[in-house]
Order: sequence, then C-alpha cells, then structure tokens
Amino acid sequence: MGESIDVVEMFKQAAFEVDNRRLPDLKPQTVITALGMDSVAIMELVAWFEEKLGVRIPDEQLSKIRTVKDLRDTIARLLPDRQFAA
Amino acid sequence: MIGVVPALNACEGEHSRGFTFLGAKGPGEDLFVSFHDLRLSAQRRAAHYAAAGLRRGDRVALVVPEGEHFIPAFLGALWGGLIPVPLYPPVSLGKLDAFMDALVGILNIARPRVLVTTERVGKVLWSAVGRIASIEKVITTEELAKDAGSFPAAADVRDDEIAFLQFTSGSTALPKGVMVTHGSLAANCRAIIREGLEADGAKDKAVSWLPLYHDMGLIGFVIAPVWYRISVVFIPTMSFIKNATLWMETIHKHRATLSFAPNFAYALVTKRAKPEQIARWDLSQMRVFGCGAEPINPGTMRAFLQAMAPAGLKPEALLPCYGMAEATLAISFVPLEEPLQTDRINAERYHADHEATPVSNGSAFLEVVSCGRTFVGHEVTVQDDDGRILPDRHIGGICFRGPSLTAGYWENPEATQAAFRDGWLHTGDLGYKVGDRVFVSGRIKDILIVNGRNYHPQGIEWLVNEIPGVRKGSSVVFTRPGAASEEIVVAAEARADDAAALKAQIVARVSEEFQLAVSDVALVPPGTLPKTSSGKLQRRKTREQYLNGSIGRTSRVGSTRLAVAKHLALSLVGRARHEVRKLLGG
Repeated sequence: MGESIDVVEMFKQAAFEVDNRRLPDLKPQTVITALGMDSVAIMELVAWFEEKLGVRIPDEQLSKIRTVKDLRDTIARLLPDRQFAA
Repeated sequence: MIGVVPALNACEGEHSRGFTFLGAKGPGEDLFVSFHDLRLSAQRRAAHYAAAGLRRGDRVALVVPEGEHFIPAFLGALWGGLIPVPLYPPVSLGKLDAFMDALVGILNIARPRVLVTTERVGKVLWSAVGRIASIEKVITTEELAKDAGSFPAAADVRDDEIAFLQFTSGSTALPKGVMVTHGSLAANCRAIIREGLEADGAKDKAVSWLPLYHDMGLIGFVIAPVWYRISVVFIPTMSFIKNATLWMETIHKHRATLSFAPNFAYALVTKRAKPEQIARWDLSQMRVFGCGAEPINPGTMRAFLQAMAPAGLKPEALLPCYGMAEATLAISFVPLEEPLQTDRINAERYHADHEATPVSNGSAFLEVVSCGRTFVGHEVTVQDDDGRILPDRHIGGICFRGPSLTAGYWENPEATQAAFRDGWLHTGDLGYKVGDRVFVSGRIKDILIVNGRNYHPQGIEWLVNEIPGVRKGSSVVFTRPGAASEEIVVAAEARADDAAALKAQIVARVSEEFQLAVSDVALVPPGTLPKTSSGKLQRRKTREQYLNGSIGRTSRVGSTRLAVAKHLALSLVGRARHEVRKLLGG
C-alpha cells in the first residue's frame, strides 16, 4: 500500500518527459487527444504510465479512454489495492 | 513462377525455420511457429472457412491485432481462394467512434460475408457489425484454432485473380481498396527477395514490428518470407510504439540481418536509444535496414547511422526504397552495399523551372535521397502532364509499369482509370531520374503521410471548416518536411478577432479527431488563398506559397495591400479587445 496516485500530476510529468510539453492547465476532464500530441507520442505516454505503475493496459481498452479521468479510472481498475487522488 | 498458395504448400517439412512472435505466450515468452506448422494452421483455418460456406472470391474481413492469430487466418483465406481484407484494429486512444465509422465505410465497399476477429476485440466491434449488411457471421480466431475435420485442397488460383484487398488510407474519407492479384504478388515478392535483398533463408533472419494490415508489414514480412522461407521475428506494433528500442534489442538478440520501417521509426529509435544500450548492442550483422513508406529525410538517416555506429552498424546497410500499395509494394530499391546517396539540387531552379540541377557555389538547395532503381522487367519513367516522357533531371510525375502492377481499386473504375492510364501506374508522386536512379521530391496527389500512414486532407479540411471563425470552405491542409515524419500545416482564411485562440482550437480539434499533431496554423485574410478559375482551392499552390513565405500576401480580388492592411487592423482590434477582457478579468 503506497501513497495515493495522482494521475493528473503524473500526466503532466509524462507529457514533459515524453513530448517536451508543459501542461499547467491539465484537468481530469481534459481530452487527451485534444492536447495536440500525435498518436505515437500518446502511446509513449501510456507506456510511461505502465512502466511507472507496473500495469499493462489491454490494447482494446485504449480506444475507450478519452479524458485524463478515463485514464485514471482505467488504471484504478487495474490496481484495485492502490489509492487514487480524486 | 509459382503462386503464394503453392509456396505455402511447399513449406511441408520445414521445421527449423519459421515465425517467432515476441511475448505471445506471456511476458517474455516467445512463440515459435515453424513454416511446416504454419501451413497446417492455415489449412485448418481454410477448413473452417469452407465449413462456414465461404466460396472462392468471397471476402473475409480481418480485424486481428496479434500477428500469431492474424497470419494463419490470412493465409488460410488465401489457401481457399478467398479474398482477405486486412483492417487496422481499434488500438488508438479515445477513437472508438471514428474507428467504427471508418470500419463500416470500408466494409460496406468490400462487402465481406464473414468478419474474423478475436474474442476481446469482438466485444468492442459488435455495434459496427450491425451496420454492415453483407456480414453473415462473425468468427473468432479462438474458434478458428479448433479442430476442423479434413483440410481442403489448395485453391488453384490464376495469376489475374485477386489475392487480397489492401485499403490504403487511415481516414473515413474515400476508402479505396487496392486489388493485389496473385500474379502481382508473385512478381513483387520475387523482385524484393531475390533481386532487391538477395536474401537466403539459410542465412538471413528478419525482424519486423510493422502492422500487418499495412503493405510493407504484410507483403514484405509475411507473404514474401513464406515464399522464400526466411525466418521472421515479429514484435507487436504496440510494443514497438511504446518502447522503440525493443526493435534494436530484438535485432541484436536474434542476430537478425533484415528489417524495414518508415522514416519516423528511425527518428524515434534514434531519440529513445540510450548510449548504454547502444554500447551493448551488436548490429554488425545487419545487412539491410530498409526505409520506405513515407518521404525519407536525409538528416534522420544520417543521425540514425551515427547513433548506431558504436553498435557496429555498417552505413551501407541503410537501404532507401520507394513503393506503394498500387504497385503491390516495392517500386525501387537502392542496390545492396551502396551507401546513402543524396542529390543536392538548386532550390530556385527546382521551383521555377522544374529542373533538378546540381547545386553549385552555396546557393539554396534541396537535398533529395536516391531511392535506387527499379527491378528487372519493370520500368520507371517521369512524365509531364501530357504523358510525354521527360529526360533526366526534369521534374514530373513518377510512373511505373511491369508485372508488379495491381489490378486497380476494388469497384472503383473512376479512381482506377485516373491512376492506371496507358499501361502506366501514375503514382501521384513528383520526382526525377538520373540514369536509372529514381529521386522522389514531392507529391501531386493530395495525400498526407504521417508516421507511415496515409490521410486524405479533405476530411481534415471539412472539420476545420466547421470551426467558428474559419471562413467556410477556405481551409487547406498540407504537409511540410519534418525531422521525424511529415508535419501537418493548416492554412485557413479567417477574420482574426483572436487569432491565437482560433489557432489553438484548430490544433485541438484536429488532434482530437485524427490524432494528428498540427505543427503550424497559418491564418490569412479572406480572399488570399489561391483558387482555380472554377473557385476550387489549390492545395499545391497554397503549400508552395506557405513554404516560400508568400502565403496570405496576395489577394485574389482587388488590392492586395488593402486586404492585408484590413487584416492587420482587424487583428490589432482583436488583440486590444482581448487585452481589455483580460484586464476586466473576463
């Protein structure tokens, strides 16, 4: 049981590391694909989360993830024992 | 020459060579399928198709992400003389609705009787199936793997029969299915393996992460290797995208000698590979790193060679090539052992006189990569608009003919006639020849190629036209050269009330809808984008104006200066308003 996971903050860090993007205004309801990243950068970002959290998001679930909150919820379902920031 | 089905049949007894699927048995556990077993599993699928009542010429749609399931399902369809239609699976972020629309659009043209998918993907696809009238049955790859009784005999197909349909564009607009015939497949596979690569299954081994619904992945790394029994290691495409260094890691581990990818992949792996990884890799055995499927950036190629030099990569392993689905796959290859060759041509003369003159004394130049020469029995020419063959170093449309030509587009005589004229495939690419060498320098056809995938500009323009603030029907989408891949530019006429906000909105909408990063938005005053006499926007001319910096400076009607002055004035008013609002905290 670690400390709670803040997907929004992690996302900001991932976007910077993967695509050199600063996203100070990112919110849970931000639509990920509207951030102006191309599909390769987005998948690299997903991989960044998978590596950091030790999860594997099944490919066919990706098409249902639109917002940062969707990503958070998907990861939360894969890690039922962890706490997530709202 | 024998066809692909007899070639598959001849795999009987080949137990040592075959296909390896990375991680297919679980994390870190690879699956090896010998060519002997691949033949059996294709026969088993063919038996299932026959039992489902499918007959020669019936289409079978395949939406199967995993190579180990896709390949037997695809080869099984060929075995029975069916026409497989490979399609990309729904694996990008948040795009389910757009994916479904594209799938329905394509399949209502291809009209398959059966859709083959996996149990997991099937759960996502069910709502689309109801919108495709021709589909009688969905069969899962799990069902196809079960016992099926006696195997049917291999279909005795003719050379002019369709082997499969290759849909070429990633967007909903105007899906076109290239009819790859058994004859064109045989000719192109022979050209690639024997002539282009001089490959030998006893010595060579290939590595591919390319998607299998794409011509380079499917023909180059599945069909041709089956023909010549060359072992291949498949990396799931998604695993490569998530971790590009896995590509080099796998080549190193398997002592592979052959691999191909589009330009963007070379940029990505150069960016991601860490010095300590490169120091550990041995790439000295690599004979061919092929690069095709999108424009080749000489800077990307040099950076890749330089980055991988410590791993022992030979510079001459890099093999630029040129091709397209309409030509089955390959049109030209750089000869083996020939190092990267580029041509530096005078930029001014290229644009003004349409000639590729070698540059002298420091004037502005364009650097074009040599894409090598075409194959025996095939011919490449450069033609002007009237079909006259142009001499060396004159820019024109690149044309191709020979036994690798496909039969055109499925049930689309209009598009077929436009591209396949007078015995030539008019590729839609712009270029020139020097001796037998082909140089691709630009494009006539309206296609955007990003990360190896084709997009039609029309779909994106329709979307931009709907954004409030953009003058209706005034947007033009094109690409400019970029380091990793082509970069998307949107030009639109707009009344610049708040140009920054409108630009941001255009970037966000295009990215959301197409997952394409827009690199620049050029907002210009109304009435300044170039149009034809019949009032149609001119993409090529707009692009030219954008690249030489004159975009938005010439009015179609009235005084140029006046329009520009009005635009400036309006944008100043807009900015002032914006500042006032900010002051007021609104």
